[in-house]
Amino acid sequence: MTTKQKVYLVDDEPALLRALSRLLRAEGFEVTTFGSAADFLSAHELNTSGCLILDVSMPMMTGQELQQHLLDAKSNLSIIFLTANGDIPMSVRAIKAGAVDFLTKPVKDSELIGAIKLGIKKTNEKQSSQNEITSLRNRLKLLTLREHEVFLHVATGEPNKQIAYALGITEQTVKVHRGRVMHKMEVESLAQLVLIAERLGLLVTNN
Amino acid sequence: MVASASLTLAAIHGFVWYRQRSALASLMFCLMATATAGMAACELWMMSVQSPHEYNHALQCFNILRWMITLSMVGFVHYYLGTGRMWLALSVCGVRTLGLLLNFTLTPNIYYSSISELRKIMFLGKSVTIVEGTPNPLMFVGQFSLILLAVYLVDATVRGHRLGIHRSLIVGTSMLVFVMALSVQTFLVLWESMDTPITTSIFFMGIIATMGLELSNDMVRAAILANNLQNREYELHRERQLTDAIFESAPGMLYLHAREGQIVRWNSQHEKITGYSNEETKLMKAKDLFLPEDLPKLNRSWDRAFSKGSDEVVVDLIRKDGQAIRHLFTMVRVEVRGKPHLVGIGVDLSSQRALAIESAHHNEEMAQLAQMASMSELSSSIAHELNQPLTIILSNAQAAQRLLTHEKPDIKELQEILDDIVSADIRAADVIKKLRTILSRGEPTLELVDPMDLFDNAISLAQADVDASGVFISKKITSNLPQLYADRIPVEQVLLNLIKNACDAMEGTAPPSRHLSLSCKKDSGFIQFSVQDNGCGLPEDFERIFDAFHSTKPSGLGLGLAISRTIIRAHGGQLWAEPAKDRGAIFHFTLPLDASNS
Repeated sequence: MTTKQKVYLVDDEPALLRALSRLLRAEGFEVTTFGSAADFLSAHELNTSGCLILDVSMPMMTGQELQQHLLDAKSNLSIIFLTANGDIPMSVRAIKAGAVDFLTKPVKDSELIGAIKLGIKKTNEKQSSQNEITSLRNRLKLLTLREHEVFLHVATGEPNKQIAYALGITEQTVKVHRGRVMHKMEVESLAQLVLIAERLGLLVTNN
Repeated sequence: MVASASLTLAAIHGFVWYRQRSALASLMFCLMATATAGMAACELWMMSVQSPHEYNHALQCFNILRWMITLSMVGFVHYYLGTGRMWLALSVCGVRTLGLLLNFTLTPNIYYSSISELRKIMFLGKSVTIVEGTPNPLMFVGQFSLILLAVYLVDATVRGHRLGIHRSLIVGTSMLVFVMALSVQTFLVLWESMDTPITTSIFFMGIIATMGLELSNDMVRAAILANNLQNREYELHRERQLTDAIFESAPGMLYLHAREGQIVRWNSQHEKITGYSNEETKLMKAKDLFLPEDLPKLNRSWDRAFSKGSDEVVVDLIRKDGQAIRHLFTMVRVEVRGKPHLVGIGVDLSSQRALAIESAHHNEEMAQLAQMASMSELSSSIAHELNQPLTIILSNAQAAQRLLTHEKPDIKELQEILDDIVSADIRAADVIKKLRTILSRGEPTLELVDPMDLFDNAISLAQADVDASGVFISKKITSNLPQLYADRIPVEQVLLNLIKNACDAMEGTAPPSRHLSLSCKKDSGFIQFSVQDNGCGLPEDFERIFDAFHSTKPSGLGLGLAISRTIIRAHGGQLWAEPAKDRGAIFHFTLPLDASNS
């Protein structure tokens, strides 16, 4: 059985929180509700998987302000706005700032659930891409200084002979280092190694 | 001795005159004292002459000096007292000059027809020479000039005394005494052959001493005055420092300007707020800080301030960079160097206004609590008020649908869902009921109201909008209007709606000319209310503005006028619109005086 997907609801209207959480729970989501933006922030769940459903007009901190807060904290959590009287400029601003959708109340279940599923997918994509980079960074940390140098040269496509000349070591030593780099970075081909260098932004900085 | 004393005094007053060219009295005194010194020398010469011929020369010199003394004495009195008659002064001078001329044309001189002998006599223990001869009858010219001089002196003294010039009495009398004594001595020496030499200079010395004393007193007085002046200047300086400090401590701009508008004084805030440097401000007039279309209003205010003593005006100040900042200017009339000026401060209303609007906004919320919110606001919040319970209902219902597909539906949860649906439904119904109250579709609850009260309440509810848009309101209400039966709150809402619409319509009108005119009159069996603006006017098909959901405003729902018309019709009256004469629109509505009409 797969773990339930998380949905966070933030709205200042308790009855609405109850209604939406019932609907979403019935749909199989794990729902957590918050009565205000501040409550949500103090729960420290900025970087979990799932999706955030946010009311626009709330006292104290508005939905848009919370969105900005999450952007500043580099959160991966996708946001869906829900509003009772939204206008076009408001929705454009929200979408431009990275919101997945901007829905008006009363919202149809299919529309809401569709948006949530898209939101969760996006959160997960961002999350996994971030996780992958984190694990690649960890692997990169395992390399010795010399291996790191060899890695950078290899990634730019230089033949072993040239690398040996550039680093003032024998070709044989380069081959040994290269083998270790492949092993530590957990790759089987040169192409994969170059791709990793690209994703870690090593090529840009070295060129 | 006489000569040296005279010369000293002459030198002192010559110096006074040299330092202060306008002190002509001192110059005259100086000339007189010099001539007296010369005369004393001349008399000494006369006392020691060896021949009649030599005596004649000395006497001619003596006469020149007499002429000089007389003229300078007249001049002194003229400049010092300033009270003598000009024609008398000129006559004295003229006759004396005539005497001098005669002295040179007649042989041997004006005093004697012939000189017979020289005699030595003892005078004050010394041997001096005197002459014996036949007196010349023409000497009378000289005596006549002395009499004229005496008359002139008497006249100047009396007039000076009458004018309250204290010194005139001392100067005039002493001069007169010595002149008289001198005349007598000269007369006696010449005619009665009194055996004394001519010692005129001693008498003149008396005059000079008195006058010198008087002039010295003047100088002492002048020195005291100068000292006082210096103290006063220091006090003024202190005073000036105080006013400077007051000018600088003002939070806004402070200014002083002349009747013609030149800005005379200002504080550093003035420079900061207007953006004009001190050099530029010096060349400017007050009117240069405002728009030409505001000038009639400003001129009226300035005129009132100059005539009544103070006034104030709210007007846009135009900065050097063209930015307009709304200011309240106070002005108070002050006299500066004998001319009327205005002093006052300018208070930036943009910040004060923000505060006022904020508090007005608060008032509005209070009014909303009292279910007196404006219709336009209520209609725009209908969406929010209704959508919220509708969402609760819909989501709960859809959740229930899902729960029911489960094998064993949670009855307790279904129960809760239904409870929430019911309360959300009641809430939605409440919103609609509130709307219906305002729409007044139900029976209007009529009460006896004063038409004036309706206007006043509506204006106080609309105050926030009126203030925010800077609209000037004028009321024209026929006196002694009868009371009428109406449902107070809805009718006030109609007026409020019309006033708010008018304010919105005047957004494109320049702020100073935003004018809202409210009027109320009796028209046969009705009271007619009118709201006139000078805003953007009515659209071509302006009957449509009364249709529901027809709005000319970007954020409007188009319900305000439709609801208003419904309310007025429910009262048995009419609501209609017409274009205003110049620009803008007029909205009229009538309410029947006889309640049975509604």
